[in-house]
Amino acid sequence: MSALRGIRVLELAEGVAGEYCGKLLADFGAELIKLERPGCGSPTRALGPFAPGGADPERSGLFAYLNTNKHSVALDVSTLPAADTLEHMLNHVDVVIDDHHAGWLAAIGLDPVIVLERRPGLVLTSITAFGQEPPPERRYAEDLTVFHSSGWGYHTPSGAGEGQPPLKGAGRFLPSYEAGLEAAMCIVAALYEREESGLGRFIDIARHEVLASRADYVLAQMVAGDMAVGVERTAYDLFGPAGIFPCRNGFAYIWMSAPAHWEALRQLLGNPLWMDSFPDNWLERECTPERVAQCRRHVAEWLQAEDKHEVAAGAQKLGLTLVAVNNAEDLLASPQYQFRGFFSRVDHPVQGTARYPTVPYRLSRTPARIESPAPLLGQHTAEALAMLTGDVP
Amino acid sequence: MSGSLRGGPLQGVRVVELTKVWAGPYVGKLLAYMGAEVIRVESEGSLDVTRTYGVADINNAPGFQAVNPQKLSVQVNMKTAEGINLILGMLEKTDIVIENLRPGAVKRLGLGYDEVKAVRPDIVYVSMGMYGSEGPLSYQTGYAPCFAALGGLSSLVGNEGEAPTGMNIRYADSTFGTAAAYGALVALLHRRRTGVGQFVDVSAVECMSSMIGDSIMDFTLNGVIQQCDGNRHADMAPHGAYPCKGGEWISIAVKSDALWVALAGLMGRPELATDPSYARLADRKARAGALDRLVSQWTSGRDAFELASLLQENGIAASRSQNSLELVADLQLWMDGFYREVSDYAGKSKTTLGPSWKMSRAAEVTTAAPRLGEHNAYVLGDILGLSAERQKELSDRGITC
Repeated sequence: MSALRGIRVLELAEGVAGEYCGKLLADFGAELIKLERPGCGSPTRALGPFAPGGADPERSGLFAYLNTNKHSVALDVSTLPAADTLEHMLNHVDVVIDDHHAGWLAAIGLDPVIVLERRPGLVLTSITAFGQEPPPERRYAEDLTVFHSSGWGYHTPSGAGEGQPPLKGAGRFLPSYEAGLEAAMCIVAALYEREESGLGRFIDIARHEVLASRADYVLAQMVAGDMAVGVERTAYDLFGPAGIFPCRNGFAYIWMSAPAHWEALRQLLGNPLWMDSFPDNWLERECTPERVAQCRRHVAEWLQAEDKHEVAAGAQKLGLTLVAVNNAEDLLASPQYQFRGFFSRVDHPVQGTARYPTVPYRLSRTPARIESPAPLLGQHTAEALAMLTGDVP
Repeated sequence: MSGSLRGGPLQGVRVVELTKVWAGPYVGKLLAYMGAEVIRVESEGSLDVTRTYGVADINNAPGFQAVNPQKLSVQVNMKTAEGINLILGMLEKTDIVIENLRPGAVKRLGLGYDEVKAVRPDIVYVSMGMYGSEGPLSYQTGYAPCFAALGGLSSLVGNEGEAPTGMNIRYADSTFGTAAAYGALVALLHRRRTGVGQFVDVSAVECMSSMIGDSIMDFTLNGVIQQCDGNRHADMAPHGAYPCKGGEWISIAVKSDALWVALAGLMGRPELATDPSYARLADRKARAGALDRLVSQWTSGRDAFELASLLQENGIAASRSQNSLELVADLQLWMDGFYREVSDYAGKSKTTLGPSWKMSRAAEVTTAAPRLGEHNAYVLGDILGLSAERQKELSDRGITC
């Protein structure tokens, strides 16, 4: 049995954050009903990457990835008869997920306070950029601007030069994925307690605060007055020779912070002369900018001729934390990912068969599974509406 | 005192941490912030390095304080068989155990899933490893930037045509911790519904891949290996960080042609809105370099906060790129209670981060990170039922130190 079987979720979300949250629940067996606008469907259907054959709503790889195991109901919640239907639906679901802007729920007649008064057992979840009452200068947001408000933008990458523009995070949607994960965690906690109390909750997730909390190790020290704050782009950094270096077939990342790492490097390189001018404990005690630069120069020279996977395997065996900088192709080929089954073969009626990335946790008794591909737009409208608006829950 | 009820969805749940540094402790922090009683097992002989980094007083270490508010600490010497038995005794009365020790360490200690299951069959056992607990590469270890490099994330951050730089070095541990917390709670819910516990095996590297799932889909669908591309975005232009007065930066993301019209107007260049070189998204993307220079010319010398406000008044997503000074002064984070006061053992107030979420019937978050062994008496006495004499004897013999 899947862990969330029997939990019914209504997804009003139309963005990456809410759809990802819904996916995380659906992949554990929750019955997830997604409302989509008739005609064009979820806005994520208009975003790539697209499967071969053209940019139509059934070929979005983004939508396909975010909506596995879901049911699609074509219903425009902004029209009056639909609002009635929605009202009925709430009697038959355990969880609602929304990720529209602050105030949207109230605008469609689902003011959280009123909804929870009338249906105290509901777990109602809202994911926004800046919470339910954003200040005027935070009304409009995209993942990029949240990344920057949260402090991650200014401090990305590590070691940034003062004049170099800060870089966005990896990919387009990192803040949304983070918020979707946080929301799923809170929802399951709420469901746990609800099993006994029968009571639901309003869960209010702000991407800004989720991202800020991900830096807690430094930010909590800063707000406590234990760590310096300022205008430095390097305020989050650890200093030392760690970094990404070119290899023969890509890039490798090396981390060195302790004498043991230095010793391992010495072994790996066959005790080269240049290392003799460094004190054995320099990484911990005497990590000067000159030594860092010199060390990086030699490491760069060495790595450029190496194979990133082979050199990493050799280094790891000696206790040196050196790893390949992988790309998507490397991940598909990774023996570890294959062992854990991280990629799952999914047959999509329009897009064909592809291997989808899954989830990073393996539950021994109730593993997450992709049992059905993302739905076609409105694929389940008739049956889901009959079920959700009927008299029997 | 320690069994006090703080409300929240996890009130009544007991969690034991066999963890080090950041990712494992972050799981316990999330669960504690939702109301669970979270006990860290520690010992003088095997201290978490975050208790010692840069300070002499292990009870006031800033790094440890940052990730361990609202937890309890018990001292048990894991290098002794008696110590291991004490831990097994605790786990018998525990709902979730979290470990992120070196690969294979818990098994060598006699605290692997099989041993723990023998004393608590329905335990939710959460194991966190860079690559997960089993498999051909599970022997490998690393720190947060290694997770990001291996998981495919770092290769996507950097300037176009240059070597990738990766995210900030601090990224990864807390994301890893959140994924583990989610897995743990799914298992806990399953246990409540069926009585069955399980093993939750979490991979840090896979956590990173799951933050770029759509980029990976481009490869699995089309064979495209996405590369770092500065601040470009497939669906938006302008999209980037632009220089402002005093070394500050503003982030601007324009998601529609209509908003581009608004921006061009604010820039005093309304003709750009109809210029065939820039009118449509595809045009602007084709000339993204020139577009960024135009926007940069306009933002340079302006105040980042005022400019963001102006753009917001016109419906355009923009924010000042907050440095650490601005972040700790972020008024909304104070108003929302994200920055909040907790009390240490002496009743002294300390500011820390609260939970990111708000929820009805939330748990109270009131206490700072524990002193080493602050809750020995509660754990050994109240939970394990050991007499004061027995506790003293264990302490004298170095079993609880």
